[in-house]
Amino acid sequence: MARIPLGCEPVIGSLVPSKKRDYRVTNRLQEGKRPLYAVVFNFIDSRYFNVFATVGGNRVTVYQCLEGGVIAVLQSYVDEDCCGLDGISEALLEFSICFVDQKDESFYTVTWACNRDGSPFVVAGGINGIIRVIDAGHEKIDKSFVGHGDSVNEIRTQPLKPSLVVSASKDESVRLWNVHTGVCILIFAGAGGHRNEVLSVDFHPSDMYRIASCGMDNTVKIWSMKEFWPSVEKSFTWTDLPSKFPTKYVQFPVFIASVHSNYVDCNRWLGDFVLSKSVDNEIVLWEPRTKDQSPGEGTVDILQKYPVPECDIWFIKFSCDFHYNAAAIGNREGKIFVWELQTSPPSLIARLSHAQSKSPIRQTAMSFDGSTILSCCEDGTIWRWDAVSSSSSSSSSQV
Amino acid sequence: MASKASPSPSASRSGSLKDASMAKADESAPVSKEIVSVIESLKRHVVDERCVSIKERMDNNRHKLASITSHLQKLSKERRNSWINFADSSLDLLKKRQDDAIGMHSGIGTSSSDKDSDSDQEDSHASTAVLLGTSIPPGKNSVRPIRLPEVKKLPPYTTWIFLDRNQRMTEDQSVVGRRRIYYAQNDGEALICSDSEEENVDEEEEKKYFLESEDYIIRMAIKEAGFSDAVINSLAECFSRKADEVKARYESLTKEEKTSVDSLNVDSEASSLNCFLEKDLEAALDSFDNLFCRRCLVFDCRLHGCSQDLVFPAEKPPPLNRPDLDNLPCGEHCYRSVSKPEKVATDDSPELGDTKDNSVQPSSGSAGTRTSVRKKHTPCARKKAKPSQSESASSIVKNMSDSSDSEIEPQHTASTSHLSPSKTKLGGNGGVSQRNSKRVAERVLSCSKKRQKVVGSDSDSVASGSVLGGDGKLSSSPHKENEDANSSSQKHAKSRSRKRELSIQNLQGEARDGISSGMVTDPPGNNSDVTLRKDDCADGNSCEMALNDNLSWKAFEKSLFEKGVEIFGRNSCLIARNLLNGLKTCVEVFQFMTQGDKRLAYQAGDAANSLGDGYSKFEHQGNNEVRRRSKFLRRRGRVRRLKYSWKSTAYHSIRKRISERKDQPCRQYNPCGCQTACGKECPCHLNGTCCEKYCGCPKTCKNRFRGCHCAKSQCRSRQCPCFAADRECDPDVCRNCWVSCGDGSLGVPNQRGDNYECRNMKLLLRQQRRVLLGKSDVSGWGAFLKNSVVKNEYLGEYTGELISHREADKRGKIYDRENSSFLFNLNDQAGWFVLDAYRKGDKLKFANHSPDPNCYAKVIMVAGDHRVGIFAKERINSGEELFYDYRYEPDRAPAWARKPEATGSKKEEPSHPSGRAKKLA
Repeated sequence: MARIPLGCEPVIGSLVPSKKRDYRVTNRLQEGKRPLYAVVFNFIDSRYFNVFATVGGNRVTVYQCLEGGVIAVLQSYVDEDCCGLDGISEALLEFSICFVDQKDESFYTVTWACNRDGSPFVVAGGINGIIRVIDAGHEKIDKSFVGHGDSVNEIRTQPLKPSLVVSASKDESVRLWNVHTGVCILIFAGAGGHRNEVLSVDFHPSDMYRIASCGMDNTVKIWSMKEFWPSVEKSFTWTDLPSKFPTKYVQFPVFIASVHSNYVDCNRWLGDFVLSKSVDNEIVLWEPRTKDQSPGEGTVDILQKYPVPECDIWFIKFSCDFHYNAAAIGNREGKIFVWELQTSPPSLIARLSHAQSKSPIRQTAMSFDGSTILSCCEDGTIWRWDAVSSSSSSSSSQV
Repeated sequence: MASKASPSPSASRSGSLKDASMAKADESAPVSKEIVSVIESLKRHVVDERCVSIKERMDNNRHKLASITSHLQKLSKERRNSWINFADSSLDLLKKRQDDAIGMHSGIGTSSSDKDSDSDQEDSHASTAVLLGTSIPPGKNSVRPIRLPEVKKLPPYTTWIFLDRNQRMTEDQSVVGRRRIYYAQNDGEALICSDSEEENVDEEEEKKYFLESEDYIIRMAIKEAGFSDAVINSLAECFSRKADEVKARYESLTKEEKTSVDSLNVDSEASSLNCFLEKDLEAALDSFDNLFCRRCLVFDCRLHGCSQDLVFPAEKPPPLNRPDLDNLPCGEHCYRSVSKPEKVATDDSPELGDTKDNSVQPSSGSAGTRTSVRKKHTPCARKKAKPSQSESASSIVKNMSDSSDSEIEPQHTASTSHLSPSKTKLGGNGGVSQRNSKRVAERVLSCSKKRQKVVGSDSDSVASGSVLGGDGKLSSSPHKENEDANSSSQKHAKSRSRKRELSIQNLQGEARDGISSGMVTDPPGNNSDVTLRKDDCADGNSCEMALNDNLSWKAFEKSLFEKGVEIFGRNSCLIARNLLNGLKTCVEVFQFMTQGDKRLAYQAGDAANSLGDGYSKFEHQGNNEVRRRSKFLRRRGRVRRLKYSWKSTAYHSIRKRISERKDQPCRQYNPCGCQTACGKECPCHLNGTCCEKYCGCPKTCKNRFRGCHCAKSQCRSRQCPCFAADRECDPDVCRNCWVSCGDGSLGVPNQRGDNYECRNMKLLLRQQRRVLLGKSDVSGWGAFLKNSVVKNEYLGEYTGELISHREADKRGKIYDRENSSFLFNLNDQAGWFVLDAYRKGDKLKFANHSPDPNCYAKVIMVAGDHRVGIFAKERINSGEELFYDYRYEPDRAPAWARKPEATGSKKEEPSHPSGRAKKLA
């Protein structure tokens, strides 16, 4: 392990919870036997701030968080190539555990988007490499993006232009899509691209041209689509067949950071800083310092570290609330750590554990204000945690 | 890790260490303790500052982010409104369901704990949990799953970049020395592959430079504790560096400090000057030499790379020549249009003849200096020489051009280096005869110009004569020359004497005409030097006048000018237009050029009394300079490449091959820089390759591949020497293989032979067939042919990254794991080269293996590079899938390629599905 030179030490948060906020389990759902890999709140449209989507197996499910810890199922979508489900299934959440053959879809990621009219879309992808764009407003499949050569590991939405989604795939590429027109706009791969599976990708919150991606090649790469922006603009008005769109390759990132020495499975922008995590039991906050003269080069200044014990397996993703005040991450043991992101030194808000939550938590979702945390687990359960205001500790949330 | 964050534990640890070592070394323990405490406090200070700065940056970031997120929130609210406005009629089912759910929830409440769906599951293990019968019963039909129609999934592939020609691997693509973790999907474990020694190297490199914080501590510690070995030692320990390193750093720091203080006083406006004009052209040319590929004629060639060895051809091409442009002024600042009125103004009636001469013979205006004229017409004169012209005029010109040819080289190279002495000399001259300097100078100038014109007219007419093929004009030109001589000799004695000299020179030239060209070069060179020197003696004044002008020429412009002379000859019009556009006008270039001659000649006369000596010296210097530079570049090139040292590895991954033979005869070609015919020591010869057109050696080199002379066989059989040697024909080398440009609308070269068209240039001309990519009938992807072809037809090239064998072994390990192979052995082990089409290639990389294929691959030498062509083994109908034999070495072939009885073949095994097993670090 390289020695950290003087004057560059990161500030490391302590694992003693500040008890600023406390959370209680208010609900638990068993969605099936298959692992759930992603859960995400809708931050695109303020009407749906309490709506979230989960994926696992061949199923995409849309839920709503109601008062008092109630979770209501709103919609459910099943990829057709799963055998054994007939039209009117008696029980929605009861799964026929069908034989997992090669063709069977297993979704890994889901995100919310919307087309230009504002109709809410659920975009999901998984092992088959096909990205499913579901029009939740009309409860039908809108499009399927075929193009990735292997499984899709993460899809994220551009918050400023929620018709744009970006996907990270095992085929070593990151692709930018327009869900409105169904066009693949850009492919971030090639000479300077990732050299192994891409596991995570995220849009910069304010700089529309920027994305960060990370993956199994242990690097985080920051890409700029500034030069290709005309192409992006063009995608909104494309009326021809989507396959005829002149998709461009972005071969060289503006920055390549070697922050970790193992798989990097999740990265998010925190303003101009980047949060990323590997399998080293911690989330790292660092600042990319690019050199204008020589693209691709630059230095990394590691600012803070957020320890997460027992988080040494890959494909565990963290999530932030809308304002990036806090991040929640699960671990291998089914515990959740809620970190205050933007303080220095970082402080642990809460450490959530439950006697029956033992399975690895693949992803968490924080609601708009951070008062609700959802976690989805390897064993197919969804847990809902609600913040307990210290004044009224025994609130009505616990029925 | 954690200890590093908090200053106290690390401080105490290192402190105690230091104490121990210090106590042993130094008897003055209190002193060292003091030092240690100073350093410790400084360290703490640094750490504290770091914390503060991080906090500050976090705060800044938070403020920024807060405004961003509030903006986003606003957007999300707007979205809701716009949707409401827009969707007046259409229903939003999500919204409806949301409302339903709320209604149901409030309606039913918690009492109806009729757990909807997974009640049995809840019972099984969660009945006693905190859990809460709160899941509301959704109307069963309202949430029945919606089916997503099946979409055919693509066969797996890794995103790849299309290459239309091979590329050499760049260093950052290398997997050598890089740690790579494999995730074996089937057994759910991770494997780490790395070369440990190489990783260590990286870390060592990292530590070399000093950080700002370290500098700070060094400075402050020495400031507080004084400069002593003890301080240095404890500092070194603190940074875990060597003491002398720290010491050196301190010295450089103090030096820096001083210079920074000094530089504050120094004028800052110097930097504001246009800096690029101050730069030497050398730097720019250096990067040109580094970046421009002379084989592919492109910048930043991906195949041959940057920093190639510079190869200077032994045979120099003649400078660019455009006789049709010579006669017209190039613009309003052309020296031709400027010099005319000047002449009229300065010279009186006796010069009328001269002007008349001008009008009579507009072509005479073309001259630069005497030498420039010769230079310009060198090619014409050479051409003339072949048909055995007996005219005196032509021989004169030829001779002159020969002499100028030999003499111009050293002039360019020497002119800059000898600038200063000539300047001092000129100053002296100017002081003596300043009174009439201007008048005389101008007159001299004009007369010398006239003389040049005379010569110019000669050569011009030769040029035109050669174009027309008639000799009538040639015979007239000597007369004119005489006329000119007469008219000018009336007034100017000096010019007459020079004229005489000129004629003497001509005679000499004539006399030596029969002598072999090698002999001719030297004596005329001397002659010209003689005349130049005389010129200069007479025109010293004029030089002085223009000295100011000379000073205004920046180094950059001067070197541009020199290059211009190399390219265009001494043609001020072309130089000004193409190289000094916007910087200098044609007149200025012209004046600079004439002065340059004078200075040079002056210098020549000065430097050595015996002209021959001086001349040879120039040549020497010039050559030396050229040689030195090329060597410098060569060294640079090699250093970069040396990072890959060949290391044999025991393990060889599976690779496609052309043939089953162990030894492949083809070797990598590298152009040699031999300046004479290649002998035994020629690198090409030693390497076992032929010399190619890119070599420096002359065309007569015995090691060159001569190409073919095929007339009708169309170079498609082994009778063609090119074909037999597995090479493509090269229109530059082969006698009868030619290429017509475009669609023929621009004219076709005279057809040689009868409708003969070489069929052995398909790779060079990229005449490939349309190949389609589709789902293979056998496995994964496959390559298909769009249109049917006949046997032995060229289908396309198998392109990819050129990598070394060592790199190929490393990559092979990765690819073998994925059970796909895009490696292709290209040529021998001596350096590079394996082709890897994994990330970069073309569609033919998807062609599958078959023991009974319909295609075959062949390595062909095309213009010095080995390339893989895929050819039809038999007639292939349109739409058929393409297969060829990968020819894996039998002991390494994967199972699917080993069994010939298997139906068809597989390249990529379908990847087995499996969940994401956990991966331990």
